[in-house]
Amino acid sequence: MSYAYLFKYIIIGDTGVGKSCLLLQFTDKRFQPVHDLTIGVEFGARMITIDGKQIKLQIWDTAGQESFRSITRSYYRGAAGALLVYDITRRDTFNHLTTWLEDARQHSNSNMVIMLIGNKSDLEARRDVKKEEGEAFAREHGLIFMETSAKTAANVEEAFINTAKEIYQKIQDGVFDINNEANGIKIGPQHSPNNPNMPSGGGGANQGGGCC
Amino acid sequence: MDYFRKYLGPSQGGVQPTGADTVERLVDRVQSSTLLDDRRDAVRALKAMSKKFRLEVGTQAMEILIKTLETDRLFTEIFTKTPSNISLLLSMLEEYDFHVRWPTVKLLTTLLTNRCKELQECILVSPMGVSKLMDLLSDSREIIRNDALLLLIQLTRNNGNIQKIVAFENAFERLFSIVDEEGNSDGGIIVEDCLLLLTNLLKGNISNQNFFRESSFIQRLTPFFDMDSEAQRSQAGWSAQKVTNIHLMLGLVRNLVSPNNPQQQTAACQRTMFQCGLLMKLCTILMASGVPADVLTETINTVSEVIRGNLQNQEYFASVLAPSTPPRPAIVVLLMSMVNEKQPFTLRCSVLYCFQSFLYKNEVGQSQIIQTLLPTSSDVNTITAGQLLCGGLFSADSLSNWFAAVALLHAIEDNPSQKEQLLRVQLATSIGNPPISLLQQCCNILAQGGKMQTRVGLLMLLSAWLADSTVTVAHFLASTANVPFLITQVSASDSDEHELLVQGLCAFLLGICCLYNDDQNETFSRASLRQIIERRIGLETFTDKLTQIPKFESYTKAAKKPHLNSKQASDIIFDYEFTSIFKSLESDVLKAVSSAAFMEESKKKMASMQEHEKVVNQYKGLIQEQDQELNETKQLYQIIQQKYTNQEKEIGEMKDLIQQLKDKNALLKAQKAPSPAVEDGKKDEELRSLQQEMENLRLNLTEKDSALGRLKDDLTRAEAQIITQNDTEENKENNPSEIAVLSATVNRLNIDLQECRQIITNKDSEISRLQVQYNEANREVETLKQTAVVNSHSEVDTSSLEKEINKLKEEKSQLMERIKKSNEENLKAIDKYNKLEEEKKSIENDRLGVEDELDTLKKEQEDLLVLLADQDTKIDKYKTKLKN
Repeated sequence: MSYAYLFKYIIIGDTGVGKSCLLLQFTDKRFQPVHDLTIGVEFGARMITIDGKQIKLQIWDTAGQESFRSITRSYYRGAAGALLVYDITRRDTFNHLTTWLEDARQHSNSNMVIMLIGNKSDLEARRDVKKEEGEAFAREHGLIFMETSAKTAANVEEAFINTAKEIYQKIQDGVFDINNEANGIKIGPQHSPNNPNMPSGGGGANQGGGCC
Repeated sequence: MDYFRKYLGPSQGGVQPTGADTVERLVDRVQSSTLLDDRRDAVRALKAMSKKFRLEVGTQAMEILIKTLETDRLFTEIFTKTPSNISLLLSMLEEYDFHVRWPTVKLLTTLLTNRCKELQECILVSPMGVSKLMDLLSDSREIIRNDALLLLIQLTRNNGNIQKIVAFENAFERLFSIVDEEGNSDGGIIVEDCLLLLTNLLKGNISNQNFFRESSFIQRLTPFFDMDSEAQRSQAGWSAQKVTNIHLMLGLVRNLVSPNNPQQQTAACQRTMFQCGLLMKLCTILMASGVPADVLTETINTVSEVIRGNLQNQEYFASVLAPSTPPRPAIVVLLMSMVNEKQPFTLRCSVLYCFQSFLYKNEVGQSQIIQTLLPTSSDVNTITAGQLLCGGLFSADSLSNWFAAVALLHAIEDNPSQKEQLLRVQLATSIGNPPISLLQQCCNILAQGGKMQTRVGLLMLLSAWLADSTVTVAHFLASTANVPFLITQVSASDSDEHELLVQGLCAFLLGICCLYNDDQNETFSRASLRQIIERRIGLETFTDKLTQIPKFESYTKAAKKPHLNSKQASDIIFDYEFTSIFKSLESDVLKAVSSAAFMEESKKKMASMQEHEKVVNQYKGLIQEQDQELNETKQLYQIIQQKYTNQEKEIGEMKDLIQQLKDKNALLKAQKAPSPAVEDGKKDEELRSLQQEMENLRLNLTEKDSALGRLKDDLTRAEAQIITQNDTEENKENNPSEIAVLSATVNRLNIDLQECRQIITNKDSEISRLQVQYNEANREVETLKQTAVVNSHSEVDTSSLEKEINKLKEEKSQLMERIKKSNEENLKAIDKYNKLEEEKKSIENDRLGVEDELDTLKKEQEDLLVLLADQDTKIDKYKTKLKN
């Protein structure tokens, strides 16, 4: 149960694009074709491994409806990663991405990693947004991009894990201030609070007061 | 100040008063004016100024305004009507100055206390509103942090969305660290405030509970129940604050494992609570001395919910021993309290709840308890749960009777084998009398009347015991007094509320006797019971009394949740588990008793039996058809398989052939490789050089020949000269030297000639040698040309082979395609076959079910026939008697 890092994610995007299904597929490995409308925000969690390190993901799945927008905004600030989801069979959900992105950029910390996700890739016959368009949008705004299917589980793991890899990389590069919990990152309980890369036990007894 | 201002006032008439002055004046007016309108105007003016002179308004007016809001609730309403006011307040929180921040916190708290819902909505809508309030918890000034706690308690009241945001903003982490800093349960009011906020965040909020568990905060609850601390040992008793803190801490645990939570959620929390030692800590408190009764009660309730329905936790609980001499199981010690009338009522209720939770979905636990009642468990000196329950059941205290009866009910609930085991229990009565069964003793006590709680308890126990157990019903009916007693009760016309309740329960018990009747007892067979009810009570009265039960207030209250929530002993009437038994059996009992309906039902059953037979036949036909189809498919499948293997073999052969051809081709190519054209070229060149050499030699030869001819001419000329000279020798004797020269020349020429001849023969031999060489070369060229011809032949051969290979390839791909198709066909066939198999299975299941039903129906029919025959014989008997 112990972990090296804990990352907080949020999932955002228009209503009905499959945010809750993505979360359910990731945490429970199952698909629920009929899902109730998310009210406010729901919570889910899972452990993953990156670079041989256990990383705990805590994920807040937000309601896509406009009426919950003010509630979901409260979750931007404390998140290290965001999955911005649209539905490849509904162009309007793609058109709204700009609004979502502005909202996210305005309320989140500047280092938040945003992964753009075109969901429902299993419904190729009803596709309304080309993969290239998603790629272009992501390129233009500096996002990572993936097409997923919460139904077939295609790319779902990858979407969550690649986001975590990006965050992990930013930590390694020293971009994130890991001691500020408001960034949505927490160091595992058994790891040194000052230097997470230091081998455990190397710090001796007075780990708490030291500063490097 | 005032003095100076008055004094200086007129002279500075033209100068505008400063912002601070105006604020001060307005504050004064708000404070002292007696007219509401005046005060309101002053407040509005302050509000207008607050944007420009924020600091001044903040430092001077805030406290007065807060007081105003507290005294004039109307102001809260006015204030909150404009949402921008709230955003303004929230933005003021960004000001670090204590004199601004602190009053703002106070003001917001007051507003929240007065108009909670409106304020919550305003704060939710304002961007990062909740987050700003959460940041206050990290303020280094304790006053602000502490007041922020009070503010957050108000903020999170009954608002799931805010609760979630607060949790998201790391509230759990911060609150736990504050509680820890303040000394856990030994801490003061701040700990209490933290616990209140934690309670708000967790109560009924499944998402937050999930987050709490996932973030391993359950583990951090464990130190809350550390009773071995320094402070604990030095203190003589429990401070009121500590009692409050522990109550709230126990409440947190109960929120996480509440029976009203989703089962999955509760089960996950229960597991963690066992693993992290929290359950162990709670059980230690349970058995510790000096714990105040109300804390103990709440601890028992908490343990109950931590173990309820979780086998591992239940097993752990069963293994807990009380530190007495000799050590007794905690269960026994607790039961001793339950049947002890001197113990506080709420404590006794909590023990029953704990006992119920221990037995809930725990067949092993049930059998362990029943085992202690059976004669085989022989050790007389140890007190067992069974003894305590029997003691309680027959004690003079009616509440003990009720507790013991309900506890026993839970020991047999939903467990037919334990119901039968309990029938074996025999009780020793007075000396000399034979032992009496527990069942009969219960009936006897019931018949003796007694207090309402005693009777209700016993009736509930009997109902649960007899329900779904024909053996128990048979035992119950074997005693002839039981049914008449129930009849008298149900038919009584007493209208006292308690009596009505008992009558209803008696009706229920009677109905169960009818419903689970095996018809072995002639006097009280199903039919005769029905008759008795109809004649002695009347169907209408019976139904009335039975359907009355759910209408009692105590019933609805008990049906809500497993936990007994009665304030006083007299409120205790129904048990939660019994209400669910009643709910599930009520309609069946009514059906069984109302004969018309029952007859109709049996008729229906007959009809449906025939129907079933028809259906079964139909299914049989269907199954046969499907079997046939299945066989056909199987055969088809085999044929396809055969084809497939053949084709595979063919492909293998083709492949071999192709390989062979390829090999051959490669070999030929390799043979062809030393290029004949180049060789030919070389030979030609050689030939040409030879020819040239020969030409040269020929030229040489002709030169020599011509030289020879010249020499010959010279010679003849010289001979002729000699002759002429000879002729003139005599004449010219004086010229001898000339002749000598000439003959020398002749000799020399002769030698030359000899040499030339030699050279010519040499050249001739060389020419002939070259001629031979030339011929050989020609011959060689000829053979090479021939081989070249042969080679071009082989080229033709290769191309034809290639063509053949292509053809084979084509054929192969065709075959592949065919195989693919046949594979697909195979798969389809397999699918179809599987589907059919499944269908067949389900049909088989259906058929079995139907056959089972048929059997039972047949049996029932036989029973009915036997009954009918019996009755016929009886009728005959009666007839003969009548005749006699």
